[in-house]
Amino acid sequence: MRDWRAFVRERLPATGLTPEREARVVRELASQLEDFYREAVARGASDEDADRHAVAQIADWRTMASDVRRADPAHARPRVDRLVDAVEARPMARATGGLMLAHLVRDGRYALRQLVRAPGFSAVAVITIALGIAATTAIFSVVNGVLLRPLPYADPGALVRVHEVIPHYGRFSVAPANFLDWRQQNTVFETTGAYSSDSVTMTFEDGPEREQGAAVSWDLFRTLRATPAFGTAFTADQDKPGASPTIVLSHALWRDRFDGDRAIVGRVIDVNGAPTTVIGVMPPDFYFPSRAVKYWRPLAISPANATRGGHFLAVIGRLRDGVSVDQAAVAMRGLAERLARQYPNDSEGESAEVVRLQDQIVGAVRPALLTLVAAVGFLVLIACANVANLLLVRGSTRDKEIAIRTALGAGRRRLVTQMMAESVVLAVGGGVLGVALGYLAIPAIQQLGANSIPRVADVTLDVRVLVVAAAASILTGLLFGLAPAWQAARAGVSAALKDSSRGSSTSGGRWVRSTLLVVEVALSIVLLTGAVLLMRSFDRLTRVNPGFSTDGVLAFQLSLPKKSYADDARIIGFFNDLVPRLEAQPGVASAGLVQTLPLRGDYVLTFEVRGRAPVSPSQQPSAAYRVVSAHYFQSLAVPLVKGRVFTPQDQPKSGLVAVVDQAFAQKHFPGADAIGQGIRIGNGVEGYYEVIGVVGDVRYDGLDATPSPTMYVPFTQDPFSTMWVVMRTSGQTATLAAPARQVVRGLDPTLPIYSLNPLATIASESIASQRFSMLLLALFAGTALFLSAVGLYGVVAYSVTQRTREIGLRVAIGAEPGDVLRLVVGGGLKLALAGVVIGLGGALALSTFVKSLLFDVVPSDPTSYAVTAGVLLVVAAIACYIPARRATRVDPMVALQAE
Amino acid sequence: MVFSPELKKGSLEMLILALVEVRPRHGYEIGKLIEERSGGRLSFTLPTLYPTLLRLESRGWLKGRWVEKAGERERCFYRLTPRGRRVLADQRATWAGYIDAVNAVLDSSRA
Repeated sequence: MRDWRAFVRERLPATGLTPEREARVVRELASQLEDFYREAVARGASDEDADRHAVAQIADWRTMASDVRRADPAHARPRVDRLVDAVEARPMARATGGLMLAHLVRDGRYALRQLVRAPGFSAVAVITIALGIAATTAIFSVVNGVLLRPLPYADPGALVRVHEVIPHYGRFSVAPANFLDWRQQNTVFETTGAYSSDSVTMTFEDGPEREQGAAVSWDLFRTLRATPAFGTAFTADQDKPGASPTIVLSHALWRDRFDGDRAIVGRVIDVNGAPTTVIGVMPPDFYFPSRAVKYWRPLAISPANATRGGHFLAVIGRLRDGVSVDQAAVAMRGLAERLARQYPNDSEGESAEVVRLQDQIVGAVRPALLTLVAAVGFLVLIACANVANLLLVRGSTRDKEIAIRTALGAGRRRLVTQMMAESVVLAVGGGVLGVALGYLAIPAIQQLGANSIPRVADVTLDVRVLVVAAAASILTGLLFGLAPAWQAARAGVSAALKDSSRGSSTSGGRWVRSTLLVVEVALSIVLLTGAVLLMRSFDRLTRVNPGFSTDGVLAFQLSLPKKSYADDARIIGFFNDLVPRLEAQPGVASAGLVQTLPLRGDYVLTFEVRGRAPVSPSQQPSAAYRVVSAHYFQSLAVPLVKGRVFTPQDQPKSGLVAVVDQAFAQKHFPGADAIGQGIRIGNGVEGYYEVIGVVGDVRYDGLDATPSPTMYVPFTQDPFSTMWVVMRTSGQTATLAAPARQVVRGLDPTLPIYSLNPLATIASESIASQRFSMLLLALFAGTALFLSAVGLYGVVAYSVTQRTREIGLRVAIGAEPGDVLRLVVGGGLKLALAGVVIGLGGALALSTFVKSLLFDVVPSDPTSYAVTAGVLLVVAAIACYIPARRATRVDPMVALQAE
Repeated sequence: MVFSPELKKGSLEMLILALVEVRPRHGYEIGKLIEERSGGRLSFTLPTLYPTLLRLESRGWLKGRWVEKAGERERCFYRLTPRGRRVLADQRATWAGYIDAVNAVLDSSRA
């Protein structure tokens, strides 16, 4: 008689049932076929006939197999397993990597099941990874939008910015005559263009409005290769002095102010009181040089009387094909130096520099953003270490499972792959959650960086960010999966089965967990140190005495149109009327005027000191220059050091008077009395200003800048048509806005008030970029601290569980709760301390990278390091104390009986 | 008399349940009993019978157990579970009702 079981096994195709179930099916079919055979023999058939009779019972084995599977869905194997079998059965598919893919799918499914079974563990792991990936997503989308994404102009790589370089100052704006020569004589640019910031009063039906824009040379749009959405850009003829005024509108201005009316082209609008023809509207996504710019009008430089002394243009160029930035730099330096030799009176010693336009725009924030990228990298590593530790702890409780699977024939490679699959599934889960969180964080970051990070409005979650986030997630998964995979690989069947109840607290496993923890703490220390350094730096910055008081000061700008204020007398008359009226408002302590507000840009002029040997113009000293009204100093609480400040009696016809600050007095009149000295200022006014007073230094250029020597003259002796008004109140600044508008309207209803803000807000905006990096780094460091605490807690809690018996024994032989506490907390703190020491070393080594972000704090600032170490150790002690307290409650009887 | 496969298949489940109601039986025995008791008018091949047995077991109406009886090979014996018993009672009632109804129509049309 044949072996019926072998016969069935050979004929029956894979049923798709679980192996045990399939074995039973084979057994029973064989048993029944044998019954058929035996009965035939019993009926007297020959052995051969009986065999034929039995074999004939099942003709279609394939149908049999599929009927069996359909009959028993409860024991059907998962589809993925059947897929693996199917692939394994096909040599072609095996060879082409199909098997790997099939295994991957199956391992993924299995991993998912394992993780769903341990929801607490999975949630902690996924959230930890999500925190890391969220930070990665958010910061990388900023880096991508700001640093990496090309500027939104055609072939942006060929666009450069050209600076003049002036002795003693470095990079500087370009003088119009130099721009005209560059445009004509350069050999490296296809086209060039110049622009300067501009603002105008546009009068609409509902009144006048101040708009920010740019004055541009006609070839600027051509250089950017930008064309209007409709209408035209400027022609060379429109960019000439005396040409009838034209303007190109931004899409936003056109949409908001002209209701998106396409008939706008050709229409004449009121700009600064002059009829101006709209010739074009730019496309919605176009902006230059920033999104704040709402219109463009011609610069209209006159070649006949363009100066080389007044520097106010920004110049861009488009490199010719095949010309590199370096070549352009060499050529432009040569050209500028030749011009400097040609016009020594104005340009002696001048040169030029060429920078990529993108670097020009975002170069300043690069160090801060790269620091944040590094911080995010650390955070991700910390998250990895944390999850790896979690997986290790969990892995050691799974030794039995692994042992059984090994016994069932799972090879080391299969086990490792399986562990890795679980890690990757966690990473993908964390990644998806993290990307979602990061996406939600982007608007907050944009708001935080709105005033300090150029192009921050361009930040979006694009494909590149998604790819990076996905790659980061997978890499993270592989990284933190290494440890448990290694653990699984070395877990021997015998060892695990022998001592399954206690898990594998082998010295090897403990060593890995401790190392990971130390690494995690060290990384946290590095991040925390960076954050503390930045926080201390920011704190110093906010405590800087700017030399003036922002409390209760409201600032706004006024611009008198040339048309109705054609001469100095009218300008002086208007402001002379304005100030007393403002001061007459209830709640106003004093009101002052200045042409350039502190922290809002500089204004530098050359001067000569009376009685000193004349020097060539380029050798003349220069200083910051402020044109102010009598009560300016009082309104900003700038202290008078010596002499007197201006009074309303200092008028055009009275003698020229000036006030200087202490920095000026010390630099230019060292050891002498500044008062009584005469200075001739390069402001176009003839004669010497007599110094009548010395005031305190004001940090005009920013809180982190050293005060530059400054000279003040009364606005009546050098009137400006655009002035800032500063009003001091004893009450709330907000209450002053309405009366201020009313006073201005009473004097001239066509004048808009603009840039109205409390001075405190302006001061706060001036340190927005420092606040941006400080807050984000602090957020990351806080997250890192939290993760380390969780990690420490996990490891100590686990060791308490592992050592329950030992602790019980200690208690049994007389250990007090205090001894147990010391034992457990001490063990955890030893690890934390090791991490702290290593971390402080690492932080010190890396601190030079944040040097450029620090103000008045050295990268090796000992206080910062001490604070960091202290904070971490306190947090570590708390994280160890919680499980340690549990250890003190170990009942020795229970603990010892547990075995 | 030849019955259509559909007719046969529809009643196979009930036949199996009825046959193991009294005592557990093995697969080959069930096939033989159906043939014997129907006087050879009903017979099922192994490819029909076995998946049905498996299906009934999968539904929890039968329970198979490998038993070695004295002097015999080890075989899988199926016995009726309490759930199977309830199902069988239902099916019997339905069947009887159906037969009654069909007969009533057939008889009345002859009269």
